[in-house]
Amino acid sequence: MADLSLRNIRKAYADFEVLHGIDLEISSGEFIVFVGPSGCGKSTLLRSIAGLETITSGDLIIDNERMNAVAPSKRGISMVFQSYALYPHMTVFENMAFGLRIAGTPKSEIDERVRRAAEILQLDKYLHRQPKALSGGQRQRVAIGRAIVRNPRVFLFDEPLSNLDAALRVGTRIEIAKLKRSMPDTTMIYVTHDQVEAMTLADRIVVFNDGRIEQVGTPTDLYRKPANLFVAQFIGSPAMNILKGKVVERSKTSARCLLDCGVSFETEVEPGRLSQGEAISVGIRPEDVELHDGTATDLAFTGSIDLVEHLGEVQILYLDLPDIREKFLMKAGGQSTFERMQGICFTVRRQNLHIFDSSGNAVRGER
Amino acid sequence: MNGARHAPEAERTDFLAVLAKVCLVTFLTSLGIVVLYPLLWMALNGFKTNAEIFGNPFALPSGFGVANYISAWNQGIRNYIATSVIVTVGSAICTVLISAWTAYGLTRSKLPGKPFFVGIVLGGLMLSPTVAVIPLVRMMQDLGLYNTYWALIILYTAFRIPFTTFLIRAYMLGLPRDLDEAAIMDGASERQIFWKVTLPLCKPILVSCVILHVLFAWNEYLFAMIFTSGADLQTLPVGLTSIMAKHGTNYAVVFAAMTLSALPIVITFFAAQRFFIRGLAEGIGK
Ligand SMILES: Nc1ncnc2c1ncn2[C@@H]1O[C@H](COP(=O)(O)OP(=O)(O)OP(=O)(O)O)[C@@H](O)[C@H]1O
Ligand SMILES: [Mg+2]
Repeated sequence: MADLSLRNIRKAYADFEVLHGIDLEISSGEFIVFVGPSGCGKSTLLRSIAGLETITSGDLIIDNERMNAVAPSKRGISMVFQSYALYPHMTVFENMAFGLRIAGTPKSEIDERVRRAAEILQLDKYLHRQPKALSGGQRQRVAIGRAIVRNPRVFLFDEPLSNLDAALRVGTRIEIAKLKRSMPDTTMIYVTHDQVEAMTLADRIVVFNDGRIEQVGTPTDLYRKPANLFVAQFIGSPAMNILKGKVVERSKTSARCLLDCGVSFETEVEPGRLSQGEAISVGIRPEDVELHDGTATDLAFTGSIDLVEHLGEVQILYLDLPDIREKFLMKAGGQSTFERMQGICFTVRRQNLHIFDSSGNAVRGER
Repeated sequence: MNGARHAPEAERTDFLAVLAKVCLVTFLTSLGIVVLYPLLWMALNGFKTNAEIFGNPFALPSGFGVANYISAWNQGIRNYIATSVIVTVGSAICTVLISAWTAYGLTRSKLPGKPFFVGIVLGGLMLSPTVAVIPLVRMMQDLGLYNTYWALIILYTAFRIPFTTFLIRAYMLGLPRDLDEAAIMDGASERQIFWKVTLPLCKPILVSCVILHVLFAWNEYLFAMIFTSGADLQTLPVGLTSIMAKHGTNYAVVFAAMTLSALPIVITFFAAQRFFIRGLAEGIGK
């Protein structure tokens, strides 16, 4: 049971500011995922919440209590480290019991809590082994177990699955989702590089870039309505195609835009956005592209195939569009056959265009 | 065709390999004899009489009577060994614990000006004990510690802390920081982290440090000679010289005494051989 609020959190190492004022409200029981490119400050923020880094300025508030100066262990927070950080000289049982022993919990209660956590995580058989005698997945579960037994209000994970192989990662991801469901009141904050983890686990995703929050929203929000170019290109794989263009004609409620590849279209725009002649970017997701036979009149693109990647159930086509240097990616079904240099006509539904103004912010048209 | 051409060559390399091996084994065996024979000779001469030693130094003793050994034991070796053990064990424990605590502070604390403190501690490595002897004697006399076990324990500890801290610090720098952080999240205090997490993880280097310290303290001569005077407070190296001075002509007893004084360290070595080798490897930075 923990509402968490971050108010204008800044963190600087000497003169080098890493976090430039983070504002975020997290409500009790939410599963929040932090994503962002490497070095953007996700770990730093997580460690600041945990208390392993001191916050330079701003307020960290958990359940209406300012926590900036509270000792890490008194914040009601558990953290699972990327490296697991299990104590190598202790058995699994001792690893999980360490925090409770230090807190002076009665022996019988320690025993019970550790055993219950071990049961949930299927570690009962390994309680008397040392970490070095466990597989990576088992170590991961011990690390989670160590965090569970303390009954935290807030659970922090820093890329917990990045050391596991792909199959185990999927399995453990599902375990974590189950774990979350069994602890509905516990707030979880999870850092990951993996889009699938982020999309499947999160109630809300927070996208970071360079020490700032770019957008906060549900996975579908971020996917369907990215607030800016950065989020648009960061969420989704393969990344969204971005086509440059400009506004050629601006009427009261709509704008006529011409893309560099020669396609033009008209879109409704709220007043005050997009002026005549303004450079724009238009994003198109590879999966929103539809092939057609050359008869479409609106938003009809043409291109030629440069490369085909066959992934089994889908193929990814790398297209050359006229006058554009970057490849344009599209997803096509696994059945059809395509050849290099083959010409292709495709279209995109109007509601699947993501339009961004010259400063990279999304312009909401007709939706 | 090919095989036929290669065969003699293969034979030759085989022959060379065998030759090299024979040379190596011979060399190592001779080396072993050079090292071990004098020790064996010393131990055997402890069983002889003076006349035998001079008459036929390299023969086996006529009988294995332990009279010489008993007389050496009673003429002070017993006390010397006891003193050596007390001083060595006492100073080893002090040195390693203090150094580990220091190294922990130097690697984990957020102390401002840490490089300065690292410099001070490691600067101690430069300090030559001989330079400090005279003021130290005065100091120990004033403190009433002159000619006590404490004098040696304190001095050995003080002079070995820089080196031991240096070794342990290097090892601690290599320990993952995550473990400390995990312990902080678990609510451990600095003291608990040190005792329950860091120290157990440093076990290999601690064992090495104890071994290096034991080797040093057991053989130290200068301080042991200067800071103790009574026979009941002398350590083995000093005691042996005084036995030699006293029984200068009774070589058999001297040999027996030397053999006895070598025994504890030899026994320790065989008991802890594994650690010894690793300890020395750590000591030279492997
Ligand atoms: N102790 C430190 N001193 C100075 N700068 C630091 C320190 N720790 C981190 N940084 C800087 O802070 C920035 C953010 O680091 P952080 O570890 O939070 O990134 P991240 O988003 O977790 O990246 P990744 O996804 O690669 O883990 C980086 O530019 C890093 O160089
Ligand atoms: Mg990180």
